[in-house]
Amino acid sequence: MKKNTRFLTLSISVVAAGALVLAGTTPSNAAVKKLTTIRIAAVVKGLDNPYFISVKAGIVDTAKKLGVTANVQAAPGLNDDIGQANKLDALAGQNYDCYIVIPISSNNLSQGLGKVTKAGKPIINIDSPVDPASLKAAGGKITSFAGTDNTAAGKAGGASMIKLIGTGKKIGLIAGLAGNVTSNARIDGFKAGAAGATFVGPVNADWDTTKALDAANQMLVANPDLAGFFAANDQMAQGIAKAVAAAGKKIPVYGVDGIMDNLNLIKAGSVTASVSQYPYVMGKMGVEACVVLAQGGKVPAWTVTPHAVIDSSNVDSALKTGNQLPPAGYNDPYAALIKK
Amino acid sequence: MNISSKSSASSAQAEEADTSSLSKLRLVTKDPFFWSNWIVVVAFVLVVVVFGAIKPHNFLTMYNLNNILVASAIPAIIVVGQTFAVTTAGIDLSVSSIMTFGAVCYGIAFTNGWSWWSSGIVGTLAGAVCGVINGFIIAKRKISDFIVTLGMLSVASGFALVFSNGQPRQIVSNQLSTLAIGGFGKIPYLMVIAFVITVGAHFFLFNTRFGTHILATGGDPDAARSMGVNIDLVKIVVYSISGTLAGFAAMLTISRIGAAEPAANTSILLNSVAAVVLGGVSLFGGRGTIFGPFVATLLLQALTNGLTVVGVAAYYQYVSIGLVVILSAAMVRTK
Repeated sequence: MKKNTRFLTLSISVVAAGALVLAGTTPSNAAVKKLTTIRIAAVVKGLDNPYFISVKAGIVDTAKKLGVTANVQAAPGLNDDIGQANKLDALAGQNYDCYIVIPISSNNLSQGLGKVTKAGKPIINIDSPVDPASLKAAGGKITSFAGTDNTAAGKAGGASMIKLIGTGKKIGLIAGLAGNVTSNARIDGFKAGAAGATFVGPVNADWDTTKALDAANQMLVANPDLAGFFAANDQMAQGIAKAVAAAGKKIPVYGVDGIMDNLNLIKAGSVTASVSQYPYVMGKMGVEACVVLAQGGKVPAWTVTPHAVIDSSNVDSALKTGNQLPPAGYNDPYAALIKK
Repeated sequence: MNISSKSSASSAQAEEADTSSLSKLRLVTKDPFFWSNWIVVVAFVLVVVVFGAIKPHNFLTMYNLNNILVASAIPAIIVVGQTFAVTTAGIDLSVSSIMTFGAVCYGIAFTNGWSWWSSGIVGTLAGAVCGVINGFIIAKRKISDFIVTLGMLSVASGFALVFSNGQPRQIVSNQLSTLAIGGFGKIPYLMVIAFVITVGAHFFLFNTRFGTHILATGGDPDAARSMGVNIDLVKIVVYSISGTLAGFAAMLTISRIGAAEPAANTSILLNSVAAVVLGGVSLFGGRGTIFGPFVATLLLQALTNGLTVVGVAAYYQYVSIGLVVILSAAMVRTK
């Protein structure tokens, strides 16, 4: 039901947009904000991770293409929750038309977002969701969320690995920061996708390559019969690949994210596959949603961004395009709503 | 000094007639200690003026100045503790981890039904315990401050993970969020708290007998000992102050973030050391100021805020902040 009404409003606004274009008269177009006057502020996670650099590229490229202005700011470090909150606070009082955010923890930006909402500006939340309870307490409101379904991504990885090694085998799991929602969703999804296997771990390696290397070494010593590894991100998968190679084994290693480093390793054969997320698409959709809202349009409240398993079969095409867009295409509900 | 030898005959005459106030000023500005105390204030004013000129309608607004004060409050409290440690020629590397540990203890108390302020006492005490342990080991076992607090850095963040099981705890409290958002007029509560602590610390260091003992210990421990100063007690007290303030700051962090998280925030540690040096406290001990590091904290936060408001890309922000720290430290360097 809900979906239907959303689709209805969506199609109405599409029709309305079409009508505007068809009418083509100056008075009716004057109400729509000119693309060159639209200003967007984005606060993303630390730019010491290729994943968020890709989000940034998606924001910057799309803004350039559409002719809008974007100020992209990042947390001083991946764990600097207060530093990130300070950045949003600094931008919240300025006259941006729309804000794009990726919170470090589910709570840390809520107070700043409350200020943005009180100023009457729309917020697009991408990648990691803001916690609804703390957001409500601070008086904030997210207009639209665009992010991956991490459980589904993990599941796709699990299914792909089972196809490779068969059921009834032992798989080692390496997770990110303890208690991290994204990490838990990917690991749980993987377990569901790889039903029939037994699991060792998950051990937390804090998203870190070196820590994952050490953890994988210990796992291999304790469980010489491991038939595969799954890591909740690509950087940890790289560490695992080193441990596996050092132990003289040839077992599949899966990561999540699809960062370029890892795609090169997939081509070289040391990492087996990565469930690629498309941070570039998230950044792109964030800007598009912002533009639609700045023009007075409406956007869907929730959009799932694509994922795809990249292995030796499709790594070449992914490498050629910088893995910015999924090989099989994707659904973008925002792009069509922009009034040029 | 060599002012008269440098000046020409005519200007020397003018100087004599000038009731020597100008030459006095020159003497003052040639004194390296004058600069070590005031460079940070000059730098702060410079930052405000420059960003104010570039973005007058965005940077110099009440709203944004309020942001800078809120952002400075928690680092300013941590910096007070760090200043005490550095004044005794020590250093406290465990401040950020103790803060994380305090936050986790706060979260456990709060989710077990304790009120927002009694949980705050729990968090503060947890920090105090870490500080006392630091001070006790440094004083009694004569191990370098660097090593002991480096160890505590790991131990405190480890226990934070153990106690919390790695899980963040959400803290929803109206009083706490009022603490973070509200203020007396335009001055945020958080900054008022930080300023009261700063003034109290200044009074303690410069107007009490124990404060003099702290300075003496940092200046020359052997001389201080022979004068009857209890060096061990001084060490224990300064690290206890640092730990207690870190534990207290944990509550203010939770008020801003809305959750007690076990992840350590290392930038707080780096900022505290940078602010202490920028503020004109000698790393070799014995020469301290409380207000210098306070202004330095404002400077660092104003700089980050200004760069963000102007829209300087994140990567260049690291560079510019690092350069300011090194440049100012080079200027305050005295023999």
